Amino acid sequence: MSETALALAEPDEPDVMTGAEVAASGKPAGHREDTILYLDGVSVSFDGFKAINNLSFLLREGEMRAVIGPNGAGKTTMMDIITGKTRPDEGEVFFNGNVDLTRHDEPAIATMGIGRKFQKPTVFEGHTVDDNLALALSGVRSIFASLAHRRTIEEERRIVEILETTRLSHLRHTSAASLSHGQKQWLEIGMLLAQSPKVLLVDEPVAGMTDAETAETARLLRDIARSHSVVVVEHDMGFVRDLGVKVTCLHEGSVLSEGTIDHVSADPKVIEVYLGR
Amino acid sequence: MITGYFLRQGLNRWIIASLVVILAIGILVPAANLLLPAGHPLHVPSYIVALFGKYLCYALLALSLDLVWGYVGILSLGHGAFFALGGYAMGMYLMRQIGTRGVYGDPTLPDFMVFLNWKELPWFWSGFDQFWFAAIMVMLAPGLLAFVFGWFAFRSRVTGVYLSIITQAMTYALMLAFFRNDMGFGGNNGLTDFKDILGYSIQSDQTRAALFLSSAVALALGVLLVGALGASRYGKLMVAVRDAEDRTRFLGYRPEFVKLFAFTASAVMAGIAGALYVPQVGIINPGEFAPANSIEIVIWTAVGGRGTIIGPIIGAILVNAGKSAFTGLFPEYWLFALGALFIAVTLFLPKGIVGTAMHGWDALQRLRAARRHEEGRHDGPAASQPEAAE
Amino acid sequence: MNVIKRMTVTRSIAALFAVLAVLLSPSMATAQDSDVALRQAIAGLGAEKGYARLREAINVVAQTGDPRAARVLGALTEGDVYRRADDGAVVIVSGRGQQLTLHDPVTGEAIGTAPKSALDKVRVNNSVRRSVRAALGGLTLAAGDPDIRMTAARTLIATPDPDSLAAIEKAISDEEDDAVRDALENARAGAILFSGADPETRIAAIETIRNMGGQQALSLLARMPASPDQGVLQAAEDAAASVQKRLQYWGLGQNIWYGVSLGSVLLLAAIGLAITFGVMGVINMAHGEMVMLGAYTTFTVQEVMRTSFPGLLDWSLPIALPLAFLVAGSVGFALERGVIRFLYGRPLETLLATWGVSLVLQQSVRTLFGPSNREVSNPSFMSGAFQLGEISVTWNRLYIVVFALVVFAVLLYAINRTSLGLRMRAVTQNRRMAAAMGIRTPWVDALTFALGSGIAGIAGVALSQIDNVSPNLGQGYIIDSFMVVVFGGVGNLWGTLIAALSLGVANKFLEPFAGAVLGKILVLVFIILFIQRRPRGLFALKGRAVDA
Repeated sequence: MSETALALAEPDEPDVMTGAEVAASGKPAGHREDTILYLDGVSVSFDGFKAINNLSFLLREGEMRAVIGPNGAGKTTMMDIITGKTRPDEGEVFFNGNVDLTRHDEPAIATMGIGRKFQKPTVFEGHTVDDNLALALSGVRSIFASLAHRRTIEEERRIVEILETTRLSHLRHTSAASLSHGQKQWLEIGMLLAQSPKVLLVDEPVAGMTDAETAETARLLRDIARSHSVVVVEHDMGFVRDLGVKVTCLHEGSVLSEGTIDHVSADPKVIEVYLGR
Repeated sequence: MITGYFLRQGLNRWIIASLVVILAIGILVPAANLLLPAGHPLHVPSYIVALFGKYLCYALLALSLDLVWGYVGILSLGHGAFFALGGYAMGMYLMRQIGTRGVYGDPTLPDFMVFLNWKELPWFWSGFDQFWFAAIMVMLAPGLLAFVFGWFAFRSRVTGVYLSIITQAMTYALMLAFFRNDMGFGGNNGLTDFKDILGYSIQSDQTRAALFLSSAVALALGVLLVGALGASRYGKLMVAVRDAEDRTRFLGYRPEFVKLFAFTASAVMAGIAGALYVPQVGIINPGEFAPANSIEIVIWTAVGGRGTIIGPIIGAILVNAGKSAFTGLFPEYWLFALGALFIAVTLFLPKGIVGTAMHGWDALQRLRAARRHEEGRHDGPAASQPEAAE
Repeated sequence: MNVIKRMTVTRSIAALFAVLAVLLSPSMATAQDSDVALRQAIAGLGAEKGYARLREAINVVAQTGDPRAARVLGALTEGDVYRRADDGAVVIVSGRGQQLTLHDPVTGEAIGTAPKSALDKVRVNNSVRRSVRAALGGLTLAAGDPDIRMTAARTLIATPDPDSLAAIEKAISDEEDDAVRDALENARAGAILFSGADPETRIAAIETIRNMGGQQALSLLARMPASPDQGVLQAAEDAAASVQKRLQYWGLGQNIWYGVSLGSVLLLAAIGLAITFGVMGVINMAHGEMVMLGAYTTFTVQEVMRTSFPGLLDWSLPIALPLAFLVAGSVGFALERGVIRFLYGRPLETLLATWGVSLVLQQSVRTLFGPSNREVSNPSFMSGAFQLGEISVTWNRLYIVVFALVVFAVLLYAINRTSLGLRMRAVTQNRRMAAAMGIRTPWVDALTFALGSGIAGIAGVALSQIDNVSPNLGQGYIIDSFMVVVFGGVGNLWGTLIAALSLGVANKFLEPFAGAVLGKILVLVFIILFIQRRPRGLFALKGRAVDA
């Protein structure tokens, strides 16, 4: 994993990084410009409690990564920071190698191409599945454009396509409120796809799902990972193993261990954190 | 162009039906008042015209609240302020029409200014002798207040009850301000003793009939606007913001602008309602800003059914008709009835009359569809519905 | 200007007169001997022609040293002394119109009526009034009661008159009470300012006045006749500046006190809400009506005491306190069980339903007690005021400040140290966990709500002392209370305390610049802007828990 040190990197990107801010320690290995997501030396605390502590994390274009960790490890807070919901107290967060995410808010980050699925499935329950996807489709975002907008054939095609990918075609005109828990999770993933993001952040996609649904979701995510970069936060080890991707284990706001699932689950530090206390 | 826009949005038949009913009432009631002789069984007495004209304004006001509460989920407890501002703008025009017919006979200064020993018209009264100017202010004043207020509130993500409470504080502060004599709006007594509007006596049956018709037309336009907004992609966005604001934000929308647009549009509607209301009741005073008034608007909307278009209209008319009847028969008990209504509606009828009826209707439709499905499976899955319909 | 000055003079004489009138009645019998002398002297008031003669006659009356002379002298300045045309007798007259009632000049008893035409008015001018004032001052300075002498001395300070110098000097030498002597010395200094005394004496007098301080000193220095002497002028200017400065500090103190006093009222009104809204998250729009119920409970208790146990009237408030807590608390309990518990998790609906409850409560009270204001009197230990330097502190306000702080402390204790408080906090922090640990969460909800409502009732007892008790009482407080709780930060009792006090003080500091109403509006606007900046209040909880 180790490559050139970072402090020497960036003269070719004037607008973003100020050299002084490069943390002296905990440098992630790798060039920033090779990454789609780049977090370095990020810390954030709430009322003195350090939710994220000098966290460094990077994701390459097209990579799928699973993030595991016990409760309170900072998984959700990390997503909050990437999506602009929480501002880090210190540290750098870059998207696509050169966009400083700490300077943008949620809608701006979302339109750049970072989609997020919440831990608790969050869909528009007052709308049908079709409307949910239509609202998520990339494109019209301004108020005045949305006043006059009519659905195009291209949009229709994308919706049909996403409905097929998420296996919700037969529920197209059903109200989202009457979907099952698993179907809501899929709808939300479908909405993420409709956004045509570059990165998908997926928070606990299989919580509360049956085994069959879990397997189906793993298939869906692997499908998606073929054309997107994906970060999956999950507790379910079987599911993570199913995904078969590199795993990052967080603990108390920093990276505890990183590697294949076998490597991580054999790591004595990880075992201690999960079982030792 | 505009009609085309509305038509493209595919208004559903309920809206078209209610438009027809409102316009029919708007024409038939004044006609029955003016054209039929007093003894005729279908003659509508003038006081009924005035009373129902008032209800129409209330209906428009309730509809404006519905736009923000029913669709975007903003419970405004300050909509009375927008209504009153529109009313004051119209009242200022009417005051300036009095001219020398006031008690003091001053050609420019309204009576209360003469009484306060003011020598000249304050700057913010200038222009109100022109109807067109007043008409613009009727929309601009509430719209601007809503825009500025909403700009701060929505951007700093004040939501839910916090927002409700500060809207209430807003109207309360305005009430205190308008009670002051040196604000220049007639203080305690407000604006009254109007003589005529656009040159026609405000007391005459013909003027009242015209005002009634105007109120009905305004209400119909309101229905059209809310219906078209609701059916558009923006309408879906409003509901999306209501149901899951965070989700819209992470989809790349700016919910604060969605809210701001609805809030401002709604305030303008409320202002127009107030402007039509004032000439029909003949007075506007700071009492209209009272927080209690604003909360009453909420109950009209709740009774009829928020999030529906005809619900608030029905609610406003029913509650106010009830109020008129009650205060006539047992004035003591109106507040008991109103209080009980608040409790009963929230506990037992949260969707309101129309909402509950629609829910029942939907359930019936689903049942029927399911039965049909049972009978003929070979029909295949239900044909895809027209996409923009409600 | 002149009119105003004369009015204050007349008023202060009237005050003196009132004090004397109280004193007069018991001393009547013992003064029988001097009765004749006094009556003779009084007769002189009617006999003489011309103002100079009248002044002499006044001095004759004053020289009798009889306190009863004050009645006729007081009436003289009011223009109520007449001479009966037929016998020349001097009478005091009351009533208006053509037929006037006559009173004996010494005893004040009515002695019949007479038409106006049968009476001649004894006319007075300003110089006569001055003589009367000096005479009255002299009379009361000799009174037995030090309080009366004090009042007299104060009057003399307010109305400096070189003519009374002699009387003051005499009084100073006779005076045994230190406080009164100090006041008399101030009065002497005041009189010297207005006399033709030599510069040195006047500078010394200015020094005395400067030490006296206060608004009165300032007005004396401003009114004193211009002196040709530079030293005197300079001294007066310096003194005025120094007095002014001191007054500013006192004014600051006064504003803070008013602010704290208003803040404590806000605190009382809001503290119950800090529980129901802040801790439970229930929007109770009927909170103001709980306050109103407490006030009406106080009124009822007072009426019962007045009619059945007049001896316990002063105990009305202590008796009303627990009753108000129970009344408002049980209404709150019923409200939670009957309405609110069905609406948990739907704050906007809760808001509407409780507003409905508030309307019902208001109308019930209106039906029971009538729509008009009800009078709740201050018990004797709470009426009156005392002076703290230049700050006038009314006892009822002081009691309310102390009371508000006591209620706050008790509540803090209840929440942090009692078992109900522990369960309350457990339920609000994690309802399901609390339920799993065997806490009856519905019961805790109901009790918590009852506690908040009961405290609102207690607030009503206090507020009945300073506000009109009417069915609309609660309406006036509800918005303010919400502002305080939201400003302070929801779920934070200390925040509520600080918010209440700072809003109270801010309000009072804005008032002088903006006026009471505009000040209030400014504070409201400020809070609205503040909430938009920091939606979670001054002392916000941060982090994930808030979003959950």
